[in-house]
Amino acid sequence: MSGWLLADGHGGPVIPNFGQGSACERSGGWFCTDWVRANWSSTLQPALVQHVELTVIAVAVGFAIASLLAVVGYRWRPFDVPLGVFTDFLYTIPSLALFILLVPFTGLTVTTVEIALISYTLFILYRNMVAGLRGVPDEALEVARGMGLTRVQTFFRVELPLASPAMFAGLRIATVSTVSIATVAAFVIPKGLGEPILTGLQQSFGTEILAGSLLAILLALTADGLLALFQRGVTPWTRVR
Amino acid sequence: MYRKHTRRAAKAAFAVSLGVALLIGLAACGGGGGENTTTTTTTTQASGKPTIILGSKNFSEETLLGQLYGQALQAKGFKVVYKPSIGSSELIDTAITSGKINFYPEYTGVIVLDLAKEKSPKTVNATYRAAKKYEDGRGLTLLDSTPFEDVDTFTMLTSKANALGVHKISDMTKVAHFSYAGYPECQTRATCLLGLKNVYGLKQVQFKPLSTISVYTLLDNGTVTAGDGFSTDPQQLQKKYKALVDDKHIFGFQNVAPVVSQKLLSGSNGRLLEDTSNAVSRRLTLNAMQQMNNAVVVAKVSPTIVAKKFLQANGLA
Amino acid sequence: MILGDSFTPGTFADAFRFIFDHATLMLDKTAETAELSFAALGVALLLALPLGLWLGHRHRGLFVALGVSTIGRALPIIALVAFFITLFGSIGFWVNAAALIVLAIPPLLTNAYFGIEGVDRDVVEAARGVGLKESQILSRVELPLGLPLLLAGVRIAAVFVIATATIAGTVGGGGLGEIIANQASYGLSGVLAAALCVSALALVTAFVIGLARSAASRRMAPRT
Repeated sequence: MSGWLLADGHGGPVIPNFGQGSACERSGGWFCTDWVRANWSSTLQPALVQHVELTVIAVAVGFAIASLLAVVGYRWRPFDVPLGVFTDFLYTIPSLALFILLVPFTGLTVTTVEIALISYTLFILYRNMVAGLRGVPDEALEVARGMGLTRVQTFFRVELPLASPAMFAGLRIATVSTVSIATVAAFVIPKGLGEPILTGLQQSFGTEILAGSLLAILLALTADGLLALFQRGVTPWTRVR
Repeated sequence: MYRKHTRRAAKAAFAVSLGVALLIGLAACGGGGGENTTTTTTTTQASGKPTIILGSKNFSEETLLGQLYGQALQAKGFKVVYKPSIGSSELIDTAITSGKINFYPEYTGVIVLDLAKEKSPKTVNATYRAAKKYEDGRGLTLLDSTPFEDVDTFTMLTSKANALGVHKISDMTKVAHFSYAGYPECQTRATCLLGLKNVYGLKQVQFKPLSTISVYTLLDNGTVTAGDGFSTDPQQLQKKYKALVDDKHIFGFQNVAPVVSQKLLSGSNGRLLEDTSNAVSRRLTLNAMQQMNNAVVVAKVSPTIVAKKFLQANGLA
Repeated sequence: MILGDSFTPGTFADAFRFIFDHATLMLDKTAETAELSFAALGVALLLALPLGLWLGHRHRGLFVALGVSTIGRALPIIALVAFFITLFGSIGFWVNAAALIVLAIPPLLTNAYFGIEGVDRDVVEAARGVGLKESQILSRVELPLGLPLLLAGVRIAAVFVIATATIAGTVGGGGLGEIIANQASYGLSGVLAAALCVSALALVTAFVIGLARSAASRRMAPRT
């Protein structure tokens, strides 16, 4: 083996000192704050930013598509059952399997992950939106008809606002779930907070697992909180209890 | 009844949400589309240097090797797109033959025994030549290989090996029942489970697949009797673990050599690419890899930084 | 970790052929996944139901119910599995079951709470007025009336646990996840076959629980 080296004329490569790591890191401890500080900007922060991106895109696009589907399913009953069954079915496919099955189509890219995540948000959002629209009391519709509003006007001025609490509830659930499922994306592409969790798992390094996990949980709860505030601001009448 | 302005606010909120959603969706599609255009093997930059789409498999040594080659090439002006954690050799091989990547570090023995499914050559050089011959026939080729080897091993806890009185793998025939942990692809490989069963005759082995947990963790907790540790793992240097002697040589010779698409080497920059890669390979001795693996696995330094330090110390980055 | 063979419409046919060719394997693996899922569900029910029912009956702990629900949804499965693996120091059935139990509790707790809490107060008062003890009110009045919502929660938890149990397979938990994580050996048709089996298991389970839920609603519907 050393024949390769001697031919070069050099005695061997220079091996820099990489350090031995702190005692905490070497034992794979759970609370190595020095590791967190050293690796925040190179590993943890990029993972967090990627995770936010993954989630925002998935929820935004899922919301847009689900809104359209919900209107269709609400207005034309025959569509509701197949749409409901389809979104139900998507939800039962394990996230990892869905990622794998999409890879031949869209490659090892963010697109693959997004398509899968959007499918899951569709399930939650569609159901909630249709239920919200259906939950509009008949009296309100009667009043609208009495006022002489057209079908379209009734939808935008009466049904939509009254359905919004349910829709927002769905949006919050979908967002939190997406943050959670997006961690599985790390099996496909090395992006998002699932990456430090998986790497930590491979190296039995508790700190990295904990860092990734806590960031994911905090992100989910923060998103939920922000949406709750947004919901309160926009639908104050639901505050009355 | 609710006030008019809150009704309007609700409508406005929906309009805004939908608008934002659509915008983000469109932007994402545009960005996603852009990312997909770099997956062809002949994308070139303004300077004429081809873009290298560098893949690596799903364990830390491969990630490290990917960084070593990638950063050295970047230092010479090549654009490198990393695709780490692709999976087993079988899968990454599909990636390169289908053009999704055009450069990845592979082990010569794996190419000959597990991909080409040929019989085991008798020497290091013979293995390299057989591997190169195989890849040359598929629109790919092999660049120079490294001094170091990383072979699979039959690793056990030293205490367990002593208790069972085994020293080489053939000794395991006297053990009535034992479990062996390895990556899923181990089940179909001559350098792994198939070799153990067919060459050593160890039909009594029970296989336990692992994908995200270290085999050493499983050994520590007694979940498995033995496992597929890699010979350059830092744990192999510890007295706690013992790799049984591979007396029937099923694990082959496993130096690392980059598999590259032949298209990547055509053109005026092919020579530069080759030379850069070979300069890195030449310096990857067993000692160097063991030190670097130790830094990544034990000292928890990121592979990117370990690679950068090594390359800088050797004037390659 | 994964990569593409090419996915043609033929892959679907291949997947079904895979199931027929490997019927015993698929049945075994499906049974393993089912065993893991239902064990986790069972334990989660034992833990979550009493608490949820009691809180709902006392009309206390709304924040607990909502908070647990949100946090539960925020817990990533691989974080839980990673946590328990590193905690127990090994892989296996109970490590994965522990993670699934933690995930199953929130929907069960929340729906148990709201199911009982939402029962018409007048009915409860009437029962109290008739002289029923608190435990009797819960078991004979609130529980039957709250059963539909409770069973809806069980259905949600069941589907979620079954789909998530496959992730456990990637870390040596066995079951259909082991096939999904092993494209190298089983091919894309195998992965698709396993995914379809998971779907089937989840849909059948959801359907059966849905039947129970419909029966419960119908029984409690006012007779006019």
